[in-house]
Amino acid sequence: MKVLLVYCHPRADSYAASLRDEARAALEGAGHAVDLLDLYAEGFDPVMDADERGRYHDTARNTEGIETHIARLRAVDAIVFVYPTWWYGMPAMLKGWFDRVWAPGVVFDINGGVIRPLLTNVRKVGVVTTMGAPWWFAWFMGHPGRMFLSRGVRAICGRGCRFLWLAHDRMDSSTPESRAAFLAKVGARLARF
Amino acid sequence: MKVLVVYCHPVETSYNAEIHRTALATLRAGGHEVVDLDLYAEGFDPVLSREDRLEYHDTSKNRRKVDKYVAQLEWAEAVVFVFPTWCYSMPAMLKGWFDKVMLPGVSFVLGADGIARPNLQHVKRVVGISTYGRPWWVATFLMGNPPKKNIVRYFRIITAARARITYIAHYDMNRSTDATRGAFLKKVERTLAALA
Repeated sequence: MKVLLVYCHPRADSYAASLRDEARAALEGAGHAVDLLDLYAEGFDPVMDADERGRYHDTARNTEGIETHIARLRAVDAIVFVYPTWWYGMPAMLKGWFDRVWAPGVVFDINGGVIRPLLTNVRKVGVVTTMGAPWWFAWFMGHPGRMFLSRGVRAICGRGCRFLWLAHDRMDSSTPESRAAFLAKVGARLARF
Repeated sequence: MKVLVVYCHPVETSYNAEIHRTALATLRAGGHEVVDLDLYAEGFDPVLSREDRLEYHDTSKNRRKVDKYVAQLEWAEAVVFVFPTWCYSMPAMLKGWFDKVMLPGVSFVLGADGIARPNLQHVKRVVGISTYGRPWWVATFLMGNPPKKNIVRYFRIITAARARITYIAHYDMNRSTDATRGAFLKKVERTLAALA
């Protein structure tokens, strides 16, 4: 499979960077081709400006400026996200990638209020994330990141698109052992992705 | 009351801009002291940088680049958010305000035990006003309404449940009419006229 690995963290020495490396090695080890999209390193601008918002619903013009992102999305069979959960959701950088790139006519069509998926090439979505709070607290908050990725994103991918969620919770009180164990789990699960 | 309005939409002619103008006019007519933070007009940078992340947990340094926004939040007795829901949650611009301004030592205090404790007890009133392209049942039952939870549950925690929180929304904007939009503006007026 071809896999788009969407990675979002500002620090090169972060735990998220280790998770990215582990994910990449596991996927490549299993014979998958990985396209790494490192949003911070690529200097992605997550802000949708007035001009872009003005042509958001105009499918003839709304792809201007995001062509390479669309091409990368359409070229893969699976997407894996690696990011920290900040304030119960994805960092603004990654949220902006969805705001700007996941546009009508690109990943979905709206017709009379009905949404038709266009990203049918994607058959699997995986998420590797870290959360400061305990897992039950994330559920209390409605698990915004997970809901969006498992339901919103999968709804516009291929029929029967599979979903894998891997989260290290309680990061604020994590230990070297808990982090190493999660790293190993990510490697093992993505090797079978 | 001292009211901080946090507004997020790039287009001046948008329906959200109209909500924003209505909100400001209603609050000022009600005699409130209003600080208007228009994130787009301000050119707010929502990206938490490497340097920001390095200083994030150091409460002696972490507010220096966002001091103005932290001061607004510490001044406010009420906070009113006006924003559209994009891709089932708040725009990156507003999410970045949470990422960068809601810092340790500002909205919460992280104890040595790794547990976050509330630190915005001075905020007595929170109002969230949003618009959604999809119908309310899609936002609520299918998606769990993340923007609403972000405002309502999150602020309940960081204000130690001391704030009264109201959330109103115009759902199903993709099929809205002048009548539905007009009625919702009236609702915004009623809600903010009653702010106390």
